[in-house]
Amino acid sequence: MLHKTARENFDLQLASLISEVKDLGMNARDAVRVSIQALLSNDIQAVKKIISEDQRINEKRYELEIKCIALIATQQPMAHDVRLLAAILEIITEIERIGDYAKGIGKVAVRLKDVKIDDDWQHFLVSMTNKGLVMMEQGLEAFILLDDKAAREIPGLDDEVDEIYNQLADHIAHSYSINPSNYRQAQCVLWAAHNLERLADRVTNICERIVYVQTGEISEFDNPEIAA
Amino acid sequence: MNNVTVGKIEVRNVNIYYGKFRAVKNVSISIPDKKITALIGPSGCGKSTLLRSLNRMNDLIPGSHMEGSITFHEIDIYEKSVDPVEVRRHIGMVFQKANPFPRSIYENVAWGARINGFQYRLGHPSMDEWVEICLRKAALWDEVKDKLRSSGLSLSGGQQQRLCIARAIATRPEVILMDEPASALDPIATLRIEELMRELAEEFAIVVVTHNMQQAARVSDFTAFLTMEEDRSGILVEYGKTPQIFTNPVDSRTEGYITGRFG
Amino acid sequence: MGEKQEPLFTPTLLRRNRSERFWKILLQFSTFIGIIILVVLLLNIINQSFGYVAIGYKVSPAEIVDPGQNLEKLSVPQLAGIIRQRVSPGLLKQLEKGKTLEHYSQTELVKLVIEKIAKPEIVQTWSFWQSLRMREEIRREVSQLPGTRLVFFSWIRPDILISPQSSNPLTAGIRTALLGSLWIILIAMLVAFPLGVGTAIYLEEYTGDSTLNQAIRTNINNLAGVPSIIYGMLGLAVFVRSLAQLTSGAWLGLSNSESANGRTILSAGLTLALLVLPLIIINAREAIKAVPDTLRQASYGVGATRWQTIWHHVLPNSIPGILTGSILAFSRALGESAPLVVIGASTYITVDPANVFSRFTALPIQIYQWTSRPQPEFRNLAAGAILVLLALLLSINAAAILLRNRYKRY
Repeated sequence: MLHKTARENFDLQLASLISEVKDLGMNARDAVRVSIQALLSNDIQAVKKIISEDQRINEKRYELEIKCIALIATQQPMAHDVRLLAAILEIITEIERIGDYAKGIGKVAVRLKDVKIDDDWQHFLVSMTNKGLVMMEQGLEAFILLDDKAAREIPGLDDEVDEIYNQLADHIAHSYSINPSNYRQAQCVLWAAHNLERLADRVTNICERIVYVQTGEISEFDNPEIAA
Repeated sequence: MNNVTVGKIEVRNVNIYYGKFRAVKNVSISIPDKKITALIGPSGCGKSTLLRSLNRMNDLIPGSHMEGSITFHEIDIYEKSVDPVEVRRHIGMVFQKANPFPRSIYENVAWGARINGFQYRLGHPSMDEWVEICLRKAALWDEVKDKLRSSGLSLSGGQQQRLCIARAIATRPEVILMDEPASALDPIATLRIEELMRELAEEFAIVVVTHNMQQAARVSDFTAFLTMEEDRSGILVEYGKTPQIFTNPVDSRTEGYITGRFG
Repeated sequence: MGEKQEPLFTPTLLRRNRSERFWKILLQFSTFIGIIILVVLLLNIINQSFGYVAIGYKVSPAEIVDPGQNLEKLSVPQLAGIIRQRVSPGLLKQLEKGKTLEHYSQTELVKLVIEKIAKPEIVQTWSFWQSLRMREEIRREVSQLPGTRLVFFSWIRPDILISPQSSNPLTAGIRTALLGSLWIILIAMLVAFPLGVGTAIYLEEYTGDSTLNQAIRTNINNLAGVPSIIYGMLGLAVFVRSLAQLTSGAWLGLSNSESANGRTILSAGLTLALLVLPLIIINAREAIKAVPDTLRQASYGVGATRWQTIWHHVLPNSIPGILTGSILAFSRALGESAPLVVIGASTYITVDPANVFSRFTALPIQIYQWTSRPQPEFRNLAAGAILVLLALLLSINAAAILLRNRYKRY
């Protein structure tokens, strides 16, 4: 994508920006992984690290936003370049949200610090997490390569995550109806799962942006199965 | 592209030659009324040649001839029975370097109108009023109203260019052609010219050739991208609405040019 | 690093400065030589134009009047008496044609007496330099000659402008020649200017660069270099001989006294017009070419026709250049003598030209004629006439400069 052109300076800056966005995304991904681990193994120390990491993610995001706007102002980007920079502004917002989700899961982990989560619920959470993390990795990879074909495939996993979430929600509801005293664990686990489901949605958004950058068309990857 | 409504000027399969050399190859384009159409492209791609063919200024260059048709009000302006002088009254021109006549400001505006038969009739403006109207439309009246008799050459560069615009609209044209009108001006004067172009577009169809892509992006409604082929003739690559051309052009050559990644 | 590198630039400043000084001195020197030559020329002419003149009389005034009387104080009847006594009957009759001698004024009679009876003549002349340096010797010399008086004479005096030709250097003037020159130049101007400028407009604005046109242009340039005497021969063949009926005025019944003859002012004017025409064309073409093309483009852009563009923009812009060059060309023509000689300028006329069909002479020819006379006094006269010619040329050139500056303002 980047060839030796009359805009070498601009291209170098773009490449550096893209690389930093990917790093930011990877940091968010790691934060999510650590937060789920902390939840499942009741590790409070890890949660502290997650919170400070989230702070760093937010700062980094603002830094990238400023760089992005500076490039827009100074380089008069057109066509592909301007779509890319606009997309980057959106993507770093999405990544920052994902970081917030990691923090949210960490807070849940603190609330459940003395509680061991039921095994079958754990199973659901792990499954959702793995899929979500794969989505993130694949999404960031597609972003680096600006591969819109790959980007189109990733939202399919979002459907699977949604499916697992629904199953988990049913499971929790059923369990709660049997044993109402389990209220707190149920609520927290549901909240964590909700964050994971939203994470998958965010990655879908990122993929939509990648497709926009390459084709100039904005389209939503709708999930027709989810009715309401 | 717009095929539904007929444009103010319809260019169809036009090839323009200087002697044996083909400068413009097979261009077809529709110039819409009351809009600004920008012609962009690298040097030598025939934009200025194409522009000048729209009001038969190429006739002044010996050895220049063209094939194809350029119609204005459904009349081919290159037909034998059409007088180029008449064409130029209806399709005016503003040049790259401001070239006011070495006469008074008043005369600069009035002369063109006068030789084209401007007459005072009841209910119509007098020459003095007409000069004022044209200078107002060119956003120059306030600056020169007290010195109409002083020489046009005593004005600054930007003012001179606005005077040339006033001169062009004094013949009551329907189309104004502009060949890089702001390329010799400083940024502030340039922006004023662009402002002026937007105002003028409410009344005239404007075609502007510019090297400055940002200017084309800022000011035009439609943009046509021309480029030079290997035989050094210019072709039309893409034509469309300006926002679309600059955010999502169809042709990779257009993309390459506007992102600055070639030429 | 640390090695000594070969310097990229060798110092040439000294050599360049020396070369600079050398050229400057050489150019100054050549200018100096040019100025010296001009100054020498001018001084030489001035030298000839002023000086002591020893005037003798054929019949000394002392002999005419009674002793003790002063000629200039005599009364009219006395002067009339003297004239009747001394003058030939034929001359008397001529003098009394309009009125009798008594009706002349006193000054007129004195003048007549001096002119026709005393008949002053020049015995000797000295140049200005000689007059200054050898004043005493000259005085002594003259006092030894009877009946002569010494006068410090300026050969360039108003009289020569109004006196016609004569064989007596004291009374000769350039009037006929001056009038002839002016008439001829006028005709040349009236013919050559419109033709030349029109041709230049056509060649520059209307024609392209075809081979035919290039050939025309080259030929016009060559014509400018043709020796002027060839134009004289052309004029002789065409205007004087072939078109004799036209140029002699026979068609108007105005032919001059000899047999209808084409050696007239008209022929001379037309010949000089031909001479000057290529210069006017070349000069006008340059002036028109110098008009920037952007001006024409602007004019065409508002829908002007080609002629409107030329008349309202190109010509006004090029007039200063055209006028300057044309005036200079005409001032050159003023000094041409060879073609006029071939055409048949008269070398001795005393009568002012009456109309374009008269015989003529011109200032340069008069000067030439005077210098070829044996009497040295005529050379002094010639110097005076040269100064007049120079003054005329200078004023024409000044007019050209003034005109150019006036039109340059807008």
